[in-house]
Order: sequence, then structure tokens, then C-alpha cells
Amino acid sequence: MKELTISSDAPGQRLFVLGNEAIARGAIEAGVQIAAAYPGTPSSEVTETLAGVAKELDMYVEWSTNEKVAFEVALAASICGVRAMASMKHVGVNVAHDPLMTAGYIGAKGGLVLLSADDPSAWSSQNEQDNRYIAEQGYIPVLEPSSTQEAKDMMADAFKLSEQFGQLFMFRSVTRIGHARGDIVLGEISRERRKGQFIKDRTRLVYTPREARINKPLMLERFEKIKKAVNTLPYNQLKLASGARLGIIACGLSYSYTLETIKWLGIEDRVSILKIGTPHPLPEELVLKLLNSVEEVLVVEELDPFVELHVKAIAGEHNIPVKTHGKDLLPRIGELSTRKVTEAVANLTKAKMPVDFAGIDKLEQETAPLLPWRPPALCPGCPHRASHHAIKVASRRVAREYGKDIEPIYPGDIGCYALGYNPPQEASDTIICMGGSFGIASGLAHVVEAPIVAHLGDSTFFHSGIPPLVNAVYNKANITMVILDNSTTSMTGFQPHPGTGYTAMGDETVMLKPEEIARACGVKFVEVVDPFNLKEATEAIEKAIRFPGPAVVVSRRLCAIIEQRDKKKRREETIPYCVDQDKCNEKCNACIELLGCPAIIKEGAKTVIDSSLCTGCGLCAQVCPYKAIVLE
Amino acid sequence: MVKESNILITGVGGQGVILMSELLGRAAVADNLRVRGSEILGMAVRGGSVTSAIRIGDEVYGPLIPTGKCHVLVGMEPSEALRNIAYLSKSSLVLVNKAVTIPFTVSIGESSYPSLEEILGQLSKASGRIVQLDAVKTAQEAGSRLATNVVMLGALFGTEQLPVKIATIKETIKERFPAKLAPVNIKAFDLGYEACRKAVK
Repeated sequence: MKELTISSDAPGQRLFVLGNEAIARGAIEAGVQIAAAYPGTPSSEVTETLAGVAKELDMYVEWSTNEKVAFEVALAASICGVRAMASMKHVGVNVAHDPLMTAGYIGAKGGLVLLSADDPSAWSSQNEQDNRYIAEQGYIPVLEPSSTQEAKDMMADAFKLSEQFGQLFMFRSVTRIGHARGDIVLGEISRERRKGQFIKDRTRLVYTPREARINKPLMLERFEKIKKAVNTLPYNQLKLASGARLGIIACGLSYSYTLETIKWLGIEDRVSILKIGTPHPLPEELVLKLLNSVEEVLVVEELDPFVELHVKAIAGEHNIPVKTHGKDLLPRIGELSTRKVTEAVANLTKAKMPVDFAGIDKLEQETAPLLPWRPPALCPGCPHRASHHAIKVASRRVAREYGKDIEPIYPGDIGCYALGYNPPQEASDTIICMGGSFGIASGLAHVVEAPIVAHLGDSTFFHSGIPPLVNAVYNKANITMVILDNSTTSMTGFQPHPGTGYTAMGDETVMLKPEEIARACGVKFVEVVDPFNLKEATEAIEKAIRFPGPAVVVSRRLCAIIEQRDKKKRREETIPYCVDQDKCNEKCNACIELLGCPAIIKEGAKTVIDSSLCTGCGLCAQVCPYKAIVLE
Repeated sequence: MVKESNILITGVGGQGVILMSELLGRAAVADNLRVRGSEILGMAVRGGSVTSAIRIGDEVYGPLIPTGKCHVLVGMEPSEALRNIAYLSKSSLVLVNKAVTIPFTVSIGESSYPSLEEILGQLSKASGRIVQLDAVKTAQEAGSRLATNVVMLGALFGTEQLPVKIATIKETIKERFPAKLAPVNIKAFDLGYEACRKAVK
């Protein structure tokens, strides 16, 4: 029998998958033809999965330069009657926000789905924004799954619903959906492939004030229809328990925690439950039925009180004397858990706690001081470590000339190199958003006197580093911009980008060079260095800082993980470095304190290199004042 | 019918924690069981802490193991087992690989690493049953240090607390690895299984 895979046309078969694969499978079953995205945790595997089967299934999949472009690519396909999706992490939706707010006015011809992967607890993000508010702002209905299976089913349906109502839909995932694993039952794969047709329609597609005024009422009409329809969607379910005092309204994944809670507390027949799969718009009829049947309601949802506020509005409008709880008993911060929901429900039902949580907390607090701090770190052999070191050495040299107490400022950015903000490197003074390093640097240049050396990666440069670079040139910001070019989007899983020479579907394409773009944008100082030649890299960055006006240094070296993989394929051996104990001054520790490489460790007083981790980059040998680090 | 079996696998990025949970999950599905689970990817793969939950059974809904509800905790690294103490209860079983991975923060003096005795002492306050294994050594006996995670997977089955058939997990291992590496991994599994059986007795 042929092995079952994500593209198998095998309805009824069960497959164990990552949540993001389930989401991709849903899109495959719906016959999605166009998928565009910019990588971002926890969304990337959706598009990676689709890219992997694109040719086999006759789909077009691309990594776009950023989320705004990705959304526009999908929107264009929908306008031409083709089913399309755009995928991004929650903060990526901010980048796409501009076209998104008008997309609701346009409506959808081909099914159009925006995947927003939110990140409660901010496991891999700079904030934990709740994108249901963005959907509400744009009259975009939201589907929110409670499990891996539902994620697949809902995604498949999202395209049909989008076409049925002529409106774009948001599919809101969260980390514990996308990065959950579970078994799914496969459905049928639609083989329908449409030919895109662009029909000129100025009233619907050309937005001057006139069209905005014409289309807004039409959008509102569509939304009203959706508002009615959600009451009968299978993703919203009301289960009334006779005589129940308490009703629970559980949104998305919170429904799974709620089911575990009532089982754990043994109160299955004492509470009524409304499962919400469409937080926007809410199934108002179902909400009313619940509110009219209980005395108290608890809204269980992650992050902000989005459903809670709407439920309170519904209760108020209909004068229903029900007490509504939510964020008074559950946190706004971080993802939920069965425990958090259990504590809230036990509080309202006076049910007995199933576990001694206080005792567990005490033990955990007592344990915390014993635990070593294990932050994620740059890999052994990571070229970013060398770039950070060169930036800091060069900047300090120049800063001294500004004055005794002047410290250089290092605006940083989003990507693997953000890991260098930890000690010992402490290489980022700000990390705010994609491309933010260059923009913040531009602003700093007008208010502080110190060397300002910003850095971002190659993928981030193409994503949103070019406009602030142009801004620095235009507005004469005297800053140094270092582009850490490791020829991949490493943090999210090595996706290709415009500088890599190939596309998401593996086709060859042009290879854009950041240095050529910088020169074309009017930067007068542009140099390219290899960060593993530490002396050369440091000197180039020093020259760049001293250059009057904006300067760019491209620090280019392939990502260590890809380098090691390639080496293996070429059957090339890695020759690690080792410490010559006769030459090493055990009290020096320069290599450890300057670089923080996971391969350099202390064994008692001795400094040693773990040969199983060392990639032979030779950076430590270059910083060792005693020349004690040598090739094995 | 299997109601609820909660397995938490913990370790450090690069130790193969995710692969273990993938193998276990696939085998469970092959045995017609329902599976839920969750892990943290992204930043954690760069040498940080990794935890992966696999939950098997018909009464499992959420992707995360509730506090105090873990049945077996598999620690690929001792301090990472300890970091997850809140999931344990008196009836939990803890399997610990004794090989430590010292984070770089210890080398630069930003934190310290406890002794193995301290770790086990603290764990024993939560759970009465702790099994220590020298999984790296066992993996080397099987033929490759890289099979340490499969040794621990074998040990997990050696607890005889899993609803998944041993034949199924072995079949899954054979499917997952290239033909050349499968025998080493099957041997690693068997040695891990036996080591756990011996220790539990």
C-alpha cells in the first residue's frame, strides 16, 4: 500500500499531523489554487506543506517579500475568481493591514482566506496581540478551531463560506493549534481548477472616495447575512444542561480546555456550554438562548475579552439579568490551560479542586532557583556571532572618540540574530518589529550623539528594510546599517527569499543582492565582508561608522545549519578546533565571555571545546589572546 | 477503550525530543488510538528547553497536559525533567537520562547547574517513582550515540504503561529511519526497554 501523506486522496483514512499540516490539508481539500505567505512562527509550516505538494496538485505557492504583498497576491487571485489564501503570523497581519481594510469592501469572488496565526504567551513573538480586533475593524468574519481535526475541516469550509457570502474570511489559529499534533480523518480533495478571469469593474475595484461610499453599505449587507448564518454553522454548538445555573461560552481552543475541566471537576451535567467557532460575528441567537437559561455565564477565551464584551453587549441590549464573568477570573496574559479554566469554574461552582494546585505551586517555586537558565542561543558556528562581535568592537573604538562615557547604540531586529541580545553578546538595544532597526536608527540619528549601528538579516531586509534605508539616505541620517546575510530565512525554518536564487516551489530565479540595492538607493559607502574574517569585518564596520552619512556593510556567510547540511551531502569532514592547554590561561575566559558559543565549555577550571558541536568556524581562535585555540 | 494517557517528553533542542513524540504519535494512530499533543518550536530549537506532550485516549481534548496530570515524564536531560515538576503527581513515573547538558549561561557565570542528587531529590518530592538511565551509554552499545532518544523511547515502553503495541512502535521506527539506520535504532529501543524493565522491577 502506498504510504499515506498530506496530499493522499484517501477520504476516511486517519493521519497523524502537525496542526499546521492539518490547516494545509484543509486548504488542499478545498482546492486552493494560490497560496502566498511570508514565514513567521507559528504559521510557516502551512505554506511549507503546500509548497511541497504544489506541483503535484497543480497549485501556485509563493513566499512573498512580506505579508502585505502576500495578501495582495491572494486578493488578486480572488478577484479573478480563483480560490486563494494568504498566511502569516499575527504581527504579519499588521504589515498586511492596509489592503486588508479595503478587502472587506471588495468582497470575495474566488474564496479568500487570511490565516492569522496568533501567539498567546508570545512564545516566538514580540507581542501577543489579539487579531480578532483587526477582523472586527475590517468586517472580516473569523473562524477559530478548537482542535486539529476542526482546524482541517474549518479551513476546507472557509473557502466555501467565503464564496457563499462573497466576503473574505479570517482563519484564526493560535500556537497550540498550529503547533499541536493530532490525528485527523481525511476528506475528499477537490480537483476543480479554475482559470482566472480579470473582469474590469471600476466600481468594485478602484477605490476613490466614491467607491468607498458605494461599497461600504454592500459590505454591511453581506456581513448581516453572515451574522444570521453563523447561528446554524456546525462550529457553533449549544448544549444546554437542564437546570444549570452556570453557562460557559468557550471560544476556539478554549473549548478543549473547558471540556477537560468539566470532566475533571465531574460537573458535566451541571453546566451548559456554548462552543464558539465564529467569535466574529457571534451566533447571537445561540448566545441569547444560553443567557436566558442560566444565572451566570463564564466566557472562556484566550488573550483579550473580545467575546466577553460582545456577550455583555447582547445581554445589555436584551435586558437579560445574567452575571457575565470572563477576564475577572481568567488572565488576559498568556495562553490558557485546563488548570486556569478549572480554577475559574471551580470558583463559580464551588466544585472541589481535583488537584492540590497550591502544593504544586509551592514545589515549583522551591524548584525554580535550582534550575539553570537555558535561553535559546545562536548555534555553534553561526556567522551572526562573528558579525555581532565585529559590530561591537568597531563601534566601541569609534565611541571612545565621541567622549568618555559615550556608548554606541545597537538597534536590532527580528530574526535569529535577536538571540544575540542575551549575554554575553548583548548585541541589540532595541527589537521592536520587522525592519525596525533601520527606522529606529534613522530617528536616533537626529536626537543622540553616539555611533548608531543597526543590524538586520537578509530576509528582513527584503521584507521591510529597504524603505527605512531609503529614508536614511533621503533624510541624511548618519547611521551604519549592517545586513547579516546568511542566505536564508533561518529563524522560521530556512525558507528561500529574493536573495537566494530559488522560489518556494523550488524553481530557479534571480538572486537579488542587498549591496546592489543599497548602492541603487544612493548609499555612498557600501562594503561586503566575510564575518569569519574578523579583522576585515571589524575594519569595514569601523570605516562605515566613520563615514559621514548613511553607510551599509553586508556581512555575508551562509547559515551554519545549512553549511553543515551541505557539507554532509558533499561528504566533507568538519575539522573542529581544540584548546591547547599548555598555552591557555585558565583565568582568561575571553573566548567564553566574548562569544558565548555553546561548543566552548568549562570543565572545572579548564576551557575545552566540545568537538561534537564545533563546526570549525575558527572565530574563537581569532579572539584568543594566547593563540591557544588550534585546529584538532 | 483508553481513557487518558499523558506522556511528557522534555529535553534540549537537538536531542530529538520532537522526533520521539512524532514516532509515538504515529504508532498510536496506527493502533487506532486518538492522539493529541503539542510542542514549542521556533526559538526553542536553538539549544533552548524543549517540551513535547503526547496524550492518548478518548477522554483527551486539549493539546497540553494539565498540571499534576502527567503519567510518564521522560527527561532527556536531568534539569529539563526538573523544570517540568509541576506536571507530576505521586503516581507519575519519571524516566531520567543521566547525561547532563550544561547551558552556556553556566560557563559565563550567569547561572549554575545543580548536582544530579539535588535534581533527583527535588523530583522525588513530587513523584515516588524515578528511574535513572544511562541512555547515552546504552545508545553507544546499540551502535550510535545519536540513538539516545530511541533508547529513552524504548525505556518509555519498558514502563508498560503505554496503550501502544510494541510491534507497532517498532514498525514505525523502521519506517521512519533509512534502512541502514533502522537496525541500530531497533537495538537501541530494545536495550532501552530492557534497561527500564530491570530498573522498574
